[in-house]
Amino acid sequence: MTRRIPLEKKVLSENDRLAAELALRFGEADVFVVNLMSSPGAGKTSLLEETAKRLGSRLSLAAVEGDLATDRDAERLRKAGLPARQINTGRGCHLNAAQVTEAVVAFDLAALDVLFIENVGNLVCPAAFYLGEHRRVVVSSTPEGDDKPVKYPVAFHSADCVVLNKMDLVEAAGFSLEAFRRFVRGVAPRAPILELSCRTGAGLETWLDWLTAEREAARTAAHTPE
Amino acid sequence: MHELSLAQAIWRQVAAEMNKREAGTQLVGVNLVVGALSGTDPESLEFAMRLVVEGSGWPDAEVRIRAEPAALRCRDCGRDYEAEGWDWACPACGRTDFEVLAGRDLRLESLEVQETNDATHSA
Repeated sequence: MTRRIPLEKKVLSENDRLAAELALRFGEADVFVVNLMSSPGAGKTSLLEETAKRLGSRLSLAAVEGDLATDRDAERLRKAGLPARQINTGRGCHLNAAQVTEAVVAFDLAALDVLFIENVGNLVCPAAFYLGEHRRVVVSSTPEGDDKPVKYPVAFHSADCVVLNKMDLVEAAGFSLEAFRRFVRGVAPRAPILELSCRTGAGLETWLDWLTAEREAARTAAHTPE
Repeated sequence: MHELSLAQAIWRQVAAEMNKREAGTQLVGVNLVVGALSGTDPESLEFAMRLVVEGSGWPDAEVRIRAEPAALRCRDCGRDYEAEGWDWACPACGRTDFEVLAGRDLRLESLEVQETNDATHSA
């Protein structure tokens, strides 16, 4: 006779536990943490470079970089004045909380205002792994097509904010803004869509405003007793 | 795609559970639940689980995967419905403003085992 043993165990419970510890540490250090996700080439690193140029004198910023094998992105960020710690994931398609825990040892968290976690370029797997972040940002770009949210509804659904980069190419790419907005609204009705171009600088102010406002909101929430 | 590493993580939990059982207990089934919002592809996970099970001490154990839809509740009219495709608007009122009730998890739901001496447990 066979017997059924009920377990109901979450497979990612170990990641969730480590991520909750990270969230606690980030809160204690009063550092605002943003997890950036996108497909390869959407412009996560460019967005961080431009952010560092414009915000670096006012706020203390740093980044953790997930990349399959190279140090190129972290090098780009350091040149832009953003201290960056590389995590080479090898064949890994996403960052997990254990890797982030190891990487943040390099930083004095309490001395930072904002920590960016640049995830591995992939819109499937990273969405499943909580890293203790305050906000999740999905970066998309016009040459990728306006139907990215249709293809990756789970990633877009998990976003607190959607950045649409390469707006300077919107016409050349035949990108429909109306369709993109409708597709994002379909799965993430509350996420603002920030249209910008890292190359021309247009629209970057709205991103910086969102970032600073959300940082304030997270700090207020942390200091308000339940 | 990280379904093989997920399968290995699942297998570690299965093995830990089997270690608590009497020696000689046979694993005959592993039941998993894959939520539609879990970022996991059920077919790839099933394939990866087969590889892991075939290399284990119970190569004939059956792997069953149940897909759990994304269950939503409309914040406007209170209707419960399932998310499909990319348009998660409420089928009753047409608004897109919902909370997610279920579908985020990837769970090891249960194991089926055959014990060496059923009499000791059926009492």
